[in-house]
Amino acid sequence: MVDLVWFQLLSAVLFVIGLYGVMARRSAVLIIMSIELMLNAVNINLIAAASHMEGVGKFSNFDGQLVAIFIITVAAAEVGLALAIILRMFRNKSTVNVDEINLMKW
Amino acid sequence: MEWAWLIPVFSFAAAPIIVVFGRLLPTKGALLSILAIGGGFAVFWFVLDSWMGAGAATSGCFTSENTEMLTCNYERSWFNAGLVGAAGSVSLHWGILIDPLTIAMLGLVTFVALMVQIYSMSYMHGDARFGWYFAVHSLFAASMLTLVLADNFLLLYVAWELVGICSYLLIGFWHERPQAREAAKKAFIVTRIGDVGLLVGILLIWRDVGSFSMLDAFEAVRTGAMSEGVATASAILLFLGAMGKSAQIPFHVWLPDAMEGPTPVSALIHAATMVVAGVYLVARTFPIFQAYDADPLLVVSIVGLVTALGAATIALVATDLKRILAYSTISHLGLMMLSLGAFGYSAAIFHMMAHGFSKALLFLGAGSVLHSTEFQETGEMGGLRKVMPLTAIVFSIGALSLGGIPILAGFWSKDEILIAVNDHRNVSFIILTLVTAGLSALYMGRAMFLVFFGELKAQNEHVHDAPLAMALPMAVLAVLALGFGLISFNWPGDFGGIGTFVFFGHSESFHFKAWLGAVSIVIAVVAFIFTYRIYAQKSISVDDLRSRNIELVKLWENKYYFDEVYQWIIDRVVLVFSRFIAFFDRAVVNDILVNGPADVTRKFGIALRVHVSGHVYSYTLVMAIGSVGLGIFVWLRVV
Repeated sequence: MVDLVWFQLLSAVLFVIGLYGVMARRSAVLIIMSIELMLNAVNINLIAAASHMEGVGKFSNFDGQLVAIFIITVAAAEVGLALAIILRMFRNKSTVNVDEINLMKW
Repeated sequence: MEWAWLIPVFSFAAAPIIVVFGRLLPTKGALLSILAIGGGFAVFWFVLDSWMGAGAATSGCFTSENTEMLTCNYERSWFNAGLVGAAGSVSLHWGILIDPLTIAMLGLVTFVALMVQIYSMSYMHGDARFGWYFAVHSLFAASMLTLVLADNFLLLYVAWELVGICSYLLIGFWHERPQAREAAKKAFIVTRIGDVGLLVGILLIWRDVGSFSMLDAFEAVRTGAMSEGVATASAILLFLGAMGKSAQIPFHVWLPDAMEGPTPVSALIHAATMVVAGVYLVARTFPIFQAYDADPLLVVSIVGLVTALGAATIALVATDLKRILAYSTISHLGLMMLSLGAFGYSAAIFHMMAHGFSKALLFLGAGSVLHSTEFQETGEMGGLRKVMPLTAIVFSIGALSLGGIPILAGFWSKDEILIAVNDHRNVSFIILTLVTAGLSALYMGRAMFLVFFGELKAQNEHVHDAPLAMALPMAVLAVLALGFGLISFNWPGDFGGIGTFVFFGHSESFHFKAWLGAVSIVIAVVAFIFTYRIYAQKSISVDDLRSRNIELVKLWENKYYFDEVYQWIIDRVVLVFSRFIAFFDRAVVNDILVNGPADVTRKFGIALRVHVSGHVYSYTLVMAIGSVGLGIFVWLRVV
């Protein structure tokens, strides 16, 4: 069995790449993709941790998997909502560059 | 008798109906107003009759320990008020208090208001705000009737202020004229200054007695539960209110200016409502005034005497007919106060009624003159008896009555006052009172002879006498001014004169001091003959008299410079102080205390808003750093 630390390392790398994407990208679509990356990094972490739980039998505890499935569901909903917002944004301003979406700024 | 509260309710109900539906009603609501006050007058007779038939056994009635008069009190719970900082709650009642004083006032107010309203139908005919006039008139009478019926100070104060606002509305009735507006404001503000004293006095009594009820307050004074200091202070404070309303010096300045209102309004204000409210207040709260050493009564009598004398001298040189009457009213109000101050309780109420009928008559007569000639200055009149004989006769009756010619009402009441002053005050008071009586005859004679005797001016030859609606009230009032004095006698039978009806402490049957009566008759007759020779025969030159006493006359013509002094005080003291307050308000309260915190908040916000850059990545960065920081924090806590 692969050691848990490798999974955690993979998760951390993916998460940091996602975080970099959120901070560095200007395009809203790319930011959402980066957020998806971060969510999936968390999912990997959760499932890896769940499968390495010490218990009575294998997979005696499903908490990690359950939370991961919740995250996938919520992420799907979030993407649907975010893409709808971005679509409206593009219709209105003909751009998805977040630097130009600054109406709420003072 | 418990239905006496209906008396003001009729007129209270009539006022809004006239305002709202006035145009639809016959005679624009005037008839409704007259019916309402007429209904009040009718109920007055029932009240008088049932009071006559009542005894101490009648429900609600008892013989007051203070006045010894049969007093009836009916009250109903009004509301309960819990007060901050006071234990328990204050329960307020509204009720009516009926004793001979109330009954006398009810009769005076309803009767004079009725006469004046009938007169006004003709006098105000064609006025643009005819309906409004009658509506306010109704409200005025209703407020005054509430004032005299009130059995507690709170209700009295409410009615008191209502009387004030109605007089404001009526004095400023022709508000297109700037003088009328100014006069209305002056009347309201000057009386308000006194009202502050009244309010503080009422609160002082309430603080001490724990109730607004007058009977409770009188009881507290009688049993000594109210200390001498409180009784004296509250009496003086109540008297301040009375001074404002009754135009006593130095609050008298509003009354002559109030002549800007329609003349019937002046008749009402001077005879029945408004100014007599002050005298009524002192009479009503007399137990508080005469408690302990009766010191407040000395103040009352001095203020009354100064007012009576001062106003009489001004009336002597005034040239405007209505102003002569106004100063005459002030002078007679002073006499009433003087009488109250000299324990002449019955005399004061008697004089209030006799003066009320005579003065209403004089004002209605003057109104008739002004209505026909459209002049107010006596210099433009003269010889009017040839063209308006009825007015001349009734005006003369009123003038002779107030001047103190025997048999007429004013003589008897003034005589009672003289006796009271003679019995209870020292010799300087009686001398000055006699001087006032003489002056009273002089200015009344002057007004009468200037207007109705002498040469008829060409401009007044077309003048006609009063129409029926105006003549009728004048004739009725003239009969009263002639014969009202008769009720002071000891008639055989049940009725023993007014002194056995309205009294304080013990009933006084009619008495007459021969020497005092003789002196006052001589003074009055000499004064009238003197004015007749000056103004009617012109055998004594006015200019000669004037130039011989020029300093005195100048002082009188300038009304003792009261208005000038007040103007100076307002300009130099009140306005300067107000300007300072306004500056303080702008600079300290507004700029520092109100705008200061707002400024600080805004500047802080401007400094803070820099972080709202609108760049998503900067927000994300902050969020990431924050999350990491939070994680480290939690981790450190856990480990």
